[in-house]
Amino acid sequence: MSGVELPASTEALRRVREDPHRLGHVGHARAPALGAGHGETGPASKRIIVGYGFWLFLLSDIVIFSCFFAAFAVQRGATAGGPTMHQIVDVPRVALETGALLLSSYTCGLSFAATNAKNLLWTQVFLFLTGLLGLAFVLMEAQEFYGLAMQGITPQRSGLLSAFFGLVGLHGLHVTIGGLWLATMMAQVQLKGFRREIIHRLICFNLFWHALDIVWIGIFTIVYLIGSVPA
Amino acid sequence: MFGRLDWSAVPFDQPIPLITSVIIILVVVGAVALVAVKGWTPYLWREWITSVDHKRIGVMYILLGVLMLLRGFADAIMMRTQQAVAINAQGYLPPEHYNQIFTAHGTIMILFGAMPLVIGFMNFLVPLQLGVRDVAFPTFNSVGFWLTASGALLVNVSLFVGEFARTGWLPYPPLSEATYTPGVGVDYYLWAVQISGVGTLIAGINIVTTVLKMRCPGMGYLRMPMFTWTALASSMLIIAVFPVLTATLAMLTLDRYAGFHFFTNTAGGNPMMFVNLIWAWGHPEVYILVLPAFGIFSEVFSTFSGKPLFGYRSMVAATLFICVVSLMVWLHHFFTMGAGAAVNTFFGIASSVIAVGTGVKIYNWIFTMYGGRVRFEGPMLWSMGFIFTFIIGGLTGVLLAVPPADFLVHNSMFLVAHFHNVIVGGVVFAIFAGLEFWFPKAFGFRLYPGWGKVAFWCAFLGFWVTFTPLYVLGLMGMTRRLQHIDIPEWRPWLYVSVAGVGIIILGVIAQVLQLVLSIRDRDKLRDETGDPWDGRSLEWATPSPAPFFNFAVMPNVEGEEAYWGIKQRAIETQALGPEPKYEPIEMPLNSPVGVVTAFFTFFFGFSMIWHIWWLAGLALAAAYAGFVVFAWRDVHEFHVPVEEVARIDRARRASREALLARLRQQGAEL
Amino acid sequence: MSDLDYDPRQYEGRLDHHEDHAPGDEPEESAGHWVLNANLGLLFSVILTAAAFGVAATRVVWGPAVADALIVLAVAQMGVHLVFFLHVTTGPDNTNNVLALAFGILVVFLIVLGSIWIMDNINQNMMPPTNQPMEMAPP
Repeated sequence: MSGVELPASTEALRRVREDPHRLGHVGHARAPALGAGHGETGPASKRIIVGYGFWLFLLSDIVIFSCFFAAFAVQRGATAGGPTMHQIVDVPRVALETGALLLSSYTCGLSFAATNAKNLLWTQVFLFLTGLLGLAFVLMEAQEFYGLAMQGITPQRSGLLSAFFGLVGLHGLHVTIGGLWLATMMAQVQLKGFRREIIHRLICFNLFWHALDIVWIGIFTIVYLIGSVPA
Repeated sequence: MFGRLDWSAVPFDQPIPLITSVIIILVVVGAVALVAVKGWTPYLWREWITSVDHKRIGVMYILLGVLMLLRGFADAIMMRTQQAVAINAQGYLPPEHYNQIFTAHGTIMILFGAMPLVIGFMNFLVPLQLGVRDVAFPTFNSVGFWLTASGALLVNVSLFVGEFARTGWLPYPPLSEATYTPGVGVDYYLWAVQISGVGTLIAGINIVTTVLKMRCPGMGYLRMPMFTWTALASSMLIIAVFPVLTATLAMLTLDRYAGFHFFTNTAGGNPMMFVNLIWAWGHPEVYILVLPAFGIFSEVFSTFSGKPLFGYRSMVAATLFICVVSLMVWLHHFFTMGAGAAVNTFFGIASSVIAVGTGVKIYNWIFTMYGGRVRFEGPMLWSMGFIFTFIIGGLTGVLLAVPPADFLVHNSMFLVAHFHNVIVGGVVFAIFAGLEFWFPKAFGFRLYPGWGKVAFWCAFLGFWVTFTPLYVLGLMGMTRRLQHIDIPEWRPWLYVSVAGVGIIILGVIAQVLQLVLSIRDRDKLRDETGDPWDGRSLEWATPSPAPFFNFAVMPNVEGEEAYWGIKQRAIETQALGPEPKYEPIEMPLNSPVGVVTAFFTFFFGFSMIWHIWWLAGLALAAAYAGFVVFAWRDVHEFHVPVEEVARIDRARRASREALLARLRQQGAEL
Repeated sequence: MSDLDYDPRQYEGRLDHHEDHAPGDEPEESAGHWVLNANLGLLFSVILTAAAFGVAATRVVWGPAVADALIVLAVAQMGVHLVFFLHVTTGPDNTNNVLALAFGILVVFLIVLGSIWIMDNINQNMMPPTNQPMEMAPP
């Protein structure tokens, strides 16, 4: 490797010899600062890294939802002679579903409070309640879909219904997956206690569940409530 | 039992795919046999396949990208030659095969060639440049790579089993709906892109978290190397738009598999919605590719000019400007498909405005060279070739961004020439510059410079000889994707274009020769110093190849161009800093979860394509189970004892002392 | 990595005030603080949800403005969830989280509003009204 030139470094060497006190130095790299630089204290802790990474994942998940929202908005009039939103919305059921999901968000928050207090029993109790409420939500939604299908209202009927079932079904799928995750987490908490990485996963689960509730706010407003108002 | 899969799926009646398949299968079987006979399997498994080291994963990404680049290039050769021989004739590729070839060419080059290459560079470089030991989520990194690889495998399996899509690289409905394309081609596309898209998203999240949360002490935002900035911008775009791709393809999948009406032309479906959504991904996608390429050029220009990057802060601003504005221009891909004057005007102006950010960058690079001691090494040649090529491509791009002009040349060979002009000139040139530039950092020896220069000149000339005729043909009215041609006046231009492909082939051969000869003579080309190019950012502070923990002690950065500052100090004081106090290091344990999950995901994709529902369910359950088993693991890290750390770092310090001594000698000769 | 294993919560009293916080996380607080937070969040969301269902079911709001009113309520409730359940604050320890969120919201707005704008424009120019069969204009 003796053939390699290092012209810039050689240049620096010459400058040091000719100008040892850096009098003529107009450098890009400023004079070395003292101490660790300007409040940048090196890598964050694992807790923050995990939480932030999951936060970014959630944002990307919300973008997926936004595409389905956009499809629903664009196809809001594409009934192809089939039922309109006004004809298929069952407001009392949506109110029940909303209540279940909202309460589950609340119990999820409480479970995280218990986690922070390192209280295993209450963490498990609130996680269990969260799961139960989530299950109730999924069952109500499944019943709604089943009822609609029995009346011949299926996604194959029209563009509007494709977008409706696509969007609401995607949310339901998320809640279902969240439920599976919740069950796995409960088992891990029970068997492993509050190890560091278990707490990190609980933070992530907490974020996931609350984000699903935020998406549901969009769904019950735009799909159901605005849909329920006669055009 | 096997859904739609039976023996008719294998193309026994088509000689070209059949022979290709046989050759590829023989090569793969041969390679696997060689590995098995030589007893390399445990090494490969331990050191590469299950590795969670960001450098190893980066190298594997790049290897995958290079292989796919060759596959896509083979498609390109077939297209150019077919058009040259099919003038008033049918040529040698029947339409259904030709259509698969241009679809595969686009899909492979963008999603399985350029993307893995770019992500490979980001993976390899970002932690090194930030002075940290790994990315934020090392195990997920491995999962992401293997998912990308299994997507690429699916695309290539379509060569032997069934067919690939014939719809163009973005499967526009209604053509891509089950009614009009009932075969498995589009399904191959959907599942391959979907699976690799998940991998890409993981990589994006990983890089953003690494850059924002894991910098070494003192590495403030405005001290990060330019490549890291572009990697951050590109990964932000990945997080923003890859979900759009996932959602759009999921809707098309629902249409094809479950009879939904998102994009059909009946029952209230809206095909234009697909075009709208897919380009909301597709346009930022080209910036995902080209921003890291800009980062590579920035590093190369400043290193080989021996100067700091000119206008660093304006470069950062331009990068972020491009990152945000690229989200607002997607309609220019379908100016002619029905939007009104107001919409077209808005998106036309936004598209033109992006050129301002790029212009800032071009001037900065030129001024970086100005007054510097420019060394015309391989990477620098690629970069200078890039400036020339990219300016032309950018200018034709501004032309296409003007809606009335676009109405004249849209979907013509002019467009084809334009986007190859920016993607080849921008991304591919950057990749070759980066390969030669960082090769010593990855493998510990340099590449022969001579063959690299031959490769550059062949690629550069070949590029212009190939694509200039396409501009002309576009202006003469030739549309893209023609299987045969009825207008004899186009003949000479098509012949010139084929000649250009011939020159590029010579370039590819030179590149392969460069690699092979350099590997043969690796001891002669060994990089003892870790700083073969007189580098300026932190990756050159490590030995070549970098140890698995990158930095024995996390560096403390005290200014822009972190390593340059350290080197400057060493030169001024004529000594390295005092030996640090070494401490044991914890590094993440290898994990097979990536390859296991991706293995089952491949079977999931394959069985969904062929409607083998039981296998799909089984594979999905197995993939999930593999993942949970991993999550159950209790120990994620292992200790590197302090003696080991000290031993490796003392070797590095010794080579630095030697470098300093050599510099002193060179300085004495001044 | 050993450097990253450092968890500020393990060393009480040594909390680094320059440290960021993970999204959804907060500096060390008593359990009562978390419970109060959740209670407030539930209270506000119940009020806002009830208001939304009320607006949709009754004639309190002028007909054509119902959709807008519902969207305002939804945005307010999303804000409540972000603050009380996801613990997003304006503090310096949250800057990165908020910036990421802002970027995400920008992307969502661009995609949803952009798609609606573009598609309505295209539909006006190109498509017959969706639920009528396409017919040729009489000569």
